[in-house]
Amino acid sequence: MALTRLGPNQSINLASNVTGALPVANGGTALTSGFSNGITEADMYRVTTSFTGDAEPIASNWERVDTNNFSKIGTGWSESSGIFSAPSTGIYHIKFGSTFYINGDNLWNNVRIATTTDNSSYDISADGFDGSKSAGDTTYCNAVTECIFDVENVSTHKVRFHTRVYNNSSTTSASSTDNECYVTFVRLGDT
Amino acid sequence: MDKITGRPNHIEDALATIHDNQWFTWTDSKNKIYANLKLTEKVGVDGNIVDNPITELPTETAVNTKLKELQDAWDAANS
Repeated sequence: MALTRLGPNQSINLASNVTGALPVANGGTALTSGFSNGITEADMYRVTTSFTGDAEPIASNWERVDTNNFSKIGTGWSESSGIFSAPSTGIYHIKFGSTFYINGDNLWNNVRIATTTDNSSYDISADGFDGSKSAGDTTYCNAVTECIFDVENVSTHKVRFHTRVYNNSSTTSASSTDNECYVTFVRLGDT
Repeated sequence: MDKITGRPNHIEDALATIHDNQWFTWTDSKNKIYANLKLTEKVGVDGNIVDNPITELPTETAVNTKLKELQDAWDAANS
């Protein structure tokens, strides 16, 4: 039986008057237990080796994070020559960040997420910039960007990542023990 | 590199200044020693993945000399 609100100042005591799951047809969710399957895919990769100048895209030295109790959820993304493929169709939140350092002025450092829906032609989906002014010694900055990408077909919908620098002496800081240049993938829901 | 002081302290600091882009990699990224240094096969340039234009590794002596040069420059600037 559907529950009906009786008036603007009246309430219904579900705890004492309802047992079991309220059917969807009657305005309920039909759930009989908790939301056990919340996030089904979450993964992180990072660049292991620092480099100077541009990398469009970052084509090598990627590794899945493997330190400090990291654990992916689900199958995880795969990577080949800097091209990332999703484990299953779905809508994904993708975040890309990198630390940069330089001894000198650097107008900007740029992180970019590039996506394709035909496994060939990439478009820039997200751009993040940061820059630093020389303090007479090494200075750091961190650029981050993110996007939501609907992977309708795992064979054609791919992602890759670029770093660009204004001053070619700027170093993209990377490590195999902590996340300095990294990407995060979280599946938000079905396509 | 010492992240707090910025002083170069590893051969990766020197390697990164010898050429641009991702021209080198490690056979074991958890053990970054000269014996594990190798060239990458591909690099990303202007949206394309192309053959690494660098075809020869620097000698271990050259890498160590470059690191010493960077350290001397840092020390001179911070003394």
